[in-house]
Amino acid sequence: MTHEHDNDSMTASAGDFPDSLRWQLRSLRRDVAPERDLWPAIAERIAATPQMAARPAPAWRRFAPLATAAALALAIGLAWQLRPAPAPGPDFEGRLLTAEADAMTREYQAALFELNHGVGARAPQELHVLDRSAAQIRTALRRDPDARFLLERLQRTYERRLELTQRLAQPTLTS
Amino acid sequence: MLTSAVTDWTPTAAPSAPAEDGDGDLVRSAANGDMAAFEGLYRRHVGRVHGVIARLVGGHAGRAEDLAQEAFVRAWQALPSYRFESAFSTWLHRLAVNTALMELRARRSRPQASDDEDAFETIGSVDSAGHVTALSMDLERAVATLPPRARAVLVLHDVEGWKHEEIAAELGMAVGSSKAQLHRARGLLRSRLGGHHDA
Repeated sequence: MTHEHDNDSMTASAGDFPDSLRWQLRSLRRDVAPERDLWPAIAERIAATPQMAARPAPAWRRFAPLATAAALALAIGLAWQLRPAPAPGPDFEGRLLTAEADAMTREYQAALFELNHGVGARAPQELHVLDRSAAQIRTALRRDPDARFLLERLQRTYERRLELTQRLAQPTLTS
Repeated sequence: MLTSAVTDWTPTAAPSAPAEDGDGDLVRSAANGDMAAFEGLYRRHVGRVHGVIARLVGGHAGRAEDLAQEAFVRAWQALPSYRFESAFSTWLHRLAVNTALMELRARRSRPQASDDEDAFETIGSVDSAGHVTALSMDLERAVATLPPRARAVLVLHDVEGWKHEEIAAELGMAVGSSKAQLHRARGLLRSRLGGHHDA
């Protein structure tokens, strides 16, 4: 990777971590060939390993958009609980999780769009924090599409976001 | 950074694989099941994949090779999901890191796991490039003996150049924890280097 260091960590470490050591650490980033040729074993394994199949449509996406944001939240939760078990195989699993994350995001964003009318300019910092968390989890999920725990964490984050938004929107909706 | 690399790819879209790595044709062929093309990708990238894994696992040669093998198998499986939105080498590097970290997490959950006791005996095997100085080898050995989690954060941040946000997401920890682990790792590293790197 070629990322630049973030400024805060560099600043934080500037006082107690010598530049010479920092540059020597960076110089450790180099190619290292294995002592043995790994290809024969890899070839043997992938010969028996199917590649990713066509992406199936997750069952929970078949739920039609619901009329209200609250009903949407309930439907999303139910669909998540009732989703079919994925077929075995990390490739299939990865694509399935990615598709589920994308669809989940779209559905929650639709629900939040409805509710945001009731929140308006009163959106507190917590909402922005949750939005950033969701974005970070989605980034991590794209890097590691097999990580089901990330999808579950994404769902929890969206649930908290929706719950908080609903609480904020309630006074406006009932007034 | 690999973002959006596994979603929204449409086969009809003009592939925009970064031309500088020259992997595009091999990747497309391998994604269609061409093992010879995948071997070409393996030959090109095995050093980089094995290198980052070796650093993450503390230079345990056998583990690093097993994990590099695992990473290439996972890459083969996942290739159809590669969307040409980042360099293939970047995508593969991420996958290799993830493979190594998964193994570190698994070992962490095993009470009998031994992570670092044989690091000093095995770390020398990473010196295959022939140009490693004695000083950097000392440093490499010192990094290898750090506790696994602290080592992972230090390697990803100080060697690979990742941001704390990326490390935190990859390791499933808070950003603050990543920074704390880095601080801890740097302190341990300096103490293990015996004051040769005082400011």
